[in-house]
Amino acid sequence: MTITAKAPDRIDAILRACRLMLRMNRASPDARKSEVLYYQMLIDYCTQLATARQNGKFIAAHTVFFPSEIFYAMDIVPLHPETTSWMTALFLGQYADLLAAGAEQGLGSEICSPHRGLAGALSIGALPHPNAVLWSNMVCDNTAKCGELLMKITGSPGFLLDRPFQRSEEEMKYFVEELRDMVAFLEAQSGLKMDWGKLSETVHQMDEQIELFREINRLREAVPSPFSPQGFLELVTVDYLFPGRPEATEYLRTLRDELAAAVAEHIGAVPKERYRLMTLFMPPMYLIGFLEKLLREYGAVSTTEPFFCNWGEGRLDPDKPLESVARKSYMLPEAHMFGPMSKKAVGEIVESAKRYKVDGAIYYADVGCRHTCAVIKLFKDALSDVDVPVLTIDCDVVDPTVISEEEIREKLERFFELMDDRR
Amino acid sequence: MSVDKIKAPPSVMERFREANSTFPKSPEILSAKKQGQSVMGWVCTYVPEELLHAAGALPVRISGYARETDLQDGTAYFYVNNCSFARSCLQLGLRGEYEYLDGFVAGSTCDAARRLFDLWRNYVPMPFSHVMTVPRKYSERAHDLYFTQVLELKTGLEAHLGVEITNDALMKSIALHNESRSLLRALNDLRKLDEPPINGSQTMEVLNASSRMPKESFNDCLRGLLRDLERSKLRHKGKARIMIAGSALNNAEFIQSIERIGGLVVTDELCTGTRYWADPVAVDDHQEPLKAIARRYLNNFPCARMYPSDERFQRMLQLIREFRVEGVISQTIRYCSPYSNDLPLLSDLLSRNGTPMLSLDVEYGTSGSGQILTRVQAFLEMLEARRK
Repeated sequence: MTITAKAPDRIDAILRACRLMLRMNRASPDARKSEVLYYQMLIDYCTQLATARQNGKFIAAHTVFFPSEIFYAMDIVPLHPETTSWMTALFLGQYADLLAAGAEQGLGSEICSPHRGLAGALSIGALPHPNAVLWSNMVCDNTAKCGELLMKITGSPGFLLDRPFQRSEEEMKYFVEELRDMVAFLEAQSGLKMDWGKLSETVHQMDEQIELFREINRLREAVPSPFSPQGFLELVTVDYLFPGRPEATEYLRTLRDELAAAVAEHIGAVPKERYRLMTLFMPPMYLIGFLEKLLREYGAVSTTEPFFCNWGEGRLDPDKPLESVARKSYMLPEAHMFGPMSKKAVGEIVESAKRYKVDGAIYYADVGCRHTCAVIKLFKDALSDVDVPVLTIDCDVVDPTVISEEEIREKLERFFELMDDRR
Repeated sequence: MSVDKIKAPPSVMERFREANSTFPKSPEILSAKKQGQSVMGWVCTYVPEELLHAAGALPVRISGYARETDLQDGTAYFYVNNCSFARSCLQLGLRGEYEYLDGFVAGSTCDAARRLFDLWRNYVPMPFSHVMTVPRKYSERAHDLYFTQVLELKTGLEAHLGVEITNDALMKSIALHNESRSLLRALNDLRKLDEPPINGSQTMEVLNASSRMPKESFNDCLRGLLRDLERSKLRHKGKARIMIAGSALNNAEFIQSIERIGGLVVTDELCTGTRYWADPVAVDDHQEPLKAIARRYLNNFPCARMYPSDERFQRMLQLIREFRVEGVISQTIRYCSPYSNDLPLLSDLLSRNGTPMLSLDVEYGTSGSGQILTRVQAFLEMLEARRK
């Protein structure tokens, strides 16, 4: 264990920020009811984490896109260090100390800031101490490789969930067995038993949630778009943190109904919609508020985010819960990104651009993410074929030293001018 | 190390040098192509060469410029934050240097390899392209899955090339490649001597040629080299015995620059070095050859991508003992995530083992100059002082 210094637990600080947001939302007559539910979910997530120790709960730290359904079905408290680190940047504007702590662990700048940050956060006690560390090779090499260092930092046992790159029948079988081993690992470490009935119910809820995600996406095709310019981040967070949770189903139903009502009445998220955008990858978290304001100012709205919102085909079967969890992993919108980038996958982006009638795409090129940046040209070329201009913004999802508000404003303003000229 | 000591052993080294200096368009590859043989490019040591060979193709390892060069095209397609090995390979592809290839086979081994496959497939179209899922574990289940991937590649090759890959052909390929491994082991065993007859940069030249020449002629040449070395009076000395570890490395000049200032590079942990040849395919009467191939490739001296890392670390410690390594120079290509992530763990392990490590951030193709050389020099001086 190499904890070097103690820092205040960030969960408490995020909790305070979420409570403030909730109060503001409740006080605002224009606020969406779904937004209130969203902040309440975040508060509950953080409260559960903050009180886990005193309640004798088992905490499992896990990497992004991990099947948290398993944790919920086992009454294990999930800790998503990457998302909680994002929240640190989003709500608190603080990340530098986490990156510094990650560097102190020996992680070079080759490692993306979220992964440096999560190692840093666990090393200085900025996040609750997990009882186990679980990681997978979904997404990228950093997620695949971070686990052993996190085990060393926390002194906790760990498990690598090896998810095959492609989706043949054999690979699905392999992944299901990996999930089974993971359940056995968690049972052995926590003394808790998997509640298979609860997992079935979670899968049932998840299946409904995926249908709701799809409905919401269809509603966002409307002109004007009914969802707020950066609203998709709520959808992303809901799936990252609350898969299969009844409160997430309620949130999605509420949002679906709100968007349906807005579409029926032709009410757009921004007063005068001028630019319909496609968002490719994650905007800087510390600038979300600024981006929301700027896009509103210009009448711009993100209508589609293929790698965060376009769910793959298929349904989940509660009678086969583990198989369904495995299948969901390949249906995730992000799975298009971390699987083979076939012509079909690229074609789906083009199809989205047409379906959502986008005027332009913004590519947030996270300088730490080699995986997403390697396909910039591929996507630009494909979108160029259907006359959709792409603005690439070099940035970092949490590190504010890479690009400033002013630089982003200037780039976006020029892009809006370009789209005007093209009209 | 004096100048005469870094002279190459005579004659046969020239064959290897020619294969490297003219690569990718080496005469032997072009000649095979001219004679109607299919040429299959492969990326990463998790792609079984034997299978490509048994299909009647000439397997050629895709690599980049083994020298410092501008990677303008590679960067434009790959973006600057991807490893320069992948950018370098792609640039050669984009510029038509691999135009003779009939196919491209990759493994899902790291982000760079996966994206290289995606970009190659899109911008350097090939008649045949195939990517294999490579598990990250060594469990029996992982072996079963990897076997299905090898089988799928076999089926794909057979359909594309219109051939049947028989067990007999596989056995012959295994024998040929195992012979190559055995010869490379004999070559490397010479480096265990106090004063080896071959140094690290020369060995790198041999290794580079090993996947750029038909194995049959490579083995002939290597046998000749071993005979030459037996007779050679040439001996290499140095201030300290060094292991090179880390990302893909093809530039022999990088190693030569270390040896010029007194390092004696005696072994390595590189996918372009020991990890390529270390383990033979173990065949027995009870196992079909394809299964034996699959088992060897997943169990081979592991890349940093595999879990647990300790498998790789223990193999490194074994090499350190066998070759009496006094210091490790780890060279990590910028943005090589698997090796970067392992560095804190490796550093800790080597420290506990009492083996000093110098960690260098490099670009693929770097020749080792300027600041890098200054740091290596200081490291060697420290090791020399420890000797005393």
